[in-house]
Amino acid sequence: MAENKRNPAAPRKRQSADTPVKKNPAPKAPKGAARSQRNWRHPLRSWLGSHRDSAQQALQRLRRHPLSSAMTILVMTIVLALPTGLAVLIGQVERLGVDWQRAAQLSVYLQETVDGPVAEQLRDSIAALDEVDEVQLLDKALALAEFQQHSGMGDALEQLSYNPLPAVILVTPNSIEGGASALQPLRDRIAAMSGVELVQIDLLWIERLTSILAMLERFTGGLAVLLIFALLLVMTTTIRLAIESRREEIQVIKLVGGTDAFVRRPFLYIGMVYGLLAGLLAWLLLAGGIAWLNTTVRQVAALYESGFELLPMPAGDGLLLVAGAVLLGLLGAWLAVGRHIRDIEPQ
Amino acid sequence: MIRFDQVSKRYPNGHQGLDNLDFHIRTGEMAFITGHSGAGKSTLLKLVMCMERPSAGRVHIGGQDLHELGSDDIPYLRRQIGVVFQNHQLLFDRTVFDNVALPLIINGTPRDEVGRRVRAALDKVDLLKKENLFPISLSGGEQQRVGIARAVVHKPALLLADEPTGNLDPALSAEIMTLFEDFNRVGVTVLIASHDLPLIARLDHRMLTLHEGRLVRDGE
Repeated sequence: MAENKRNPAAPRKRQSADTPVKKNPAPKAPKGAARSQRNWRHPLRSWLGSHRDSAQQALQRLRRHPLSSAMTILVMTIVLALPTGLAVLIGQVERLGVDWQRAAQLSVYLQETVDGPVAEQLRDSIAALDEVDEVQLLDKALALAEFQQHSGMGDALEQLSYNPLPAVILVTPNSIEGGASALQPLRDRIAAMSGVELVQIDLLWIERLTSILAMLERFTGGLAVLLIFALLLVMTTTIRLAIESRREEIQVIKLVGGTDAFVRRPFLYIGMVYGLLAGLLAWLLLAGGIAWLNTTVRQVAALYESGFELLPMPAGDGLLLVAGAVLLGLLGAWLAVGRHIRDIEPQ
Repeated sequence: MIRFDQVSKRYPNGHQGLDNLDFHIRTGEMAFITGHSGAGKSTLLKLVMCMERPSAGRVHIGGQDLHELGSDDIPYLRRQIGVVFQNHQLLFDRTVFDNVALPLIINGTPRDEVGRRVRAALDKVDLLKKENLFPISLSGGEQQRVGIARAVVHKPALLLADEPTGNLDPALSAEIMTLFEDFNRVGVTVLIASHDLPLIARLDHRMLTLHEGRLVRDGE
């Protein structure tokens, strides 16, 4: 084994002859040149610098491939806006349902012969029940007047020689939690009172609406799961293409000592930037969509003598949407880079 | 610095890349590996870079047994080695400056120091005026010098080169070799794979000759 005679003593400030390569050395702490030891004092700064570089690379990609980036972002936007929009709409209709539920009542129809003081007595005994919040008695005359006013059949009734309408006691329960079935015992107790013909729970159709809404909600949930899956696929495909187009660069980076994390970082930033833009666009789309729908919703509501309108999406929900989009972008990118980058090795 | 203990490399297709290789290159030494193409020169360098693992035997770099190195440790090994390739392996969408800065960016060198060290490396290969050009506008010899600047910018203890003069004319080749000798003079261990025998013969260095994966000659 010949020694190099030309260079007996290296004048460089390198550490001793055969500097051992330590196992698992701390990242960003290259050994060898004494000057590099300065890095020990700046690990955070260089780490932040690397993140800033990666974020810049992600933005650079947007600038260099504006069309394909826009396509990806638009697909992500639609995929995000669809289930979110449905969820927002269902939430709004639910709000309507809750309003109606608050007005839920038991209608107690009295026997035809019961009226006046007897009816008032019945009203008072119902009011004394624990589960009852409020009672209102419509005696036969009032019931007739109301019916005439609302049904448009006033003329027909006038032809009758007697008042066919029974007196009604409207009962507002303390609580409507648990729906119609929870009101059943109260209903039975009132029905057992003498003088009561029929007790009707007005909650039933609201329950039907609620269960239809629950079904729609579940449908939206399923749709959201599917669409999130689609979004991840779009993201992974995009990132995979981005990785492939930079295969050589990745090989060179690995050759000069770039870690997998270093190679991965710009791609994760691309995922997050795409997610961020898609989330913001989806928010804009929903806000615009709600405003656009509202003009017709108001018209329909006016026909039903209701002041109902769609409320704008709360800012909190919008921020949640954007945050979710960023996370999904990150997750999609992560799934794409996981094995792929490990597999690209210098040849 | 580099020690091979009975190292063999057999490829899955049955090809014997290296056969029972035994040698030691000391710190501060400069040596050539020579032999016909297919004799195992590139395989040897790949083992040093941990781009491939030996089928048998141990490779030690800087006292570290590469056998004990996990895949997560490999980047940190490579940061202490500078490599020069025949095909340069430059990134053509980045400027000369950015190409040379890459190893510094990767090992997290502070920004203010990056510029200084990149310019020092470019000055050494006489390309200071071309730092803002893209590699495509450089000649073959200049591209190779960019590759060399990138290999030495982070002051590695070990410099490897695989056919660094492969595509260059004799005058340029001699110039490149002089550069390597300069680095060696300041203490860098240099190992160059080359089949340019006339050129190597003129330089007075240790020469390892491979033939069909075996070390057939070791001397000056």
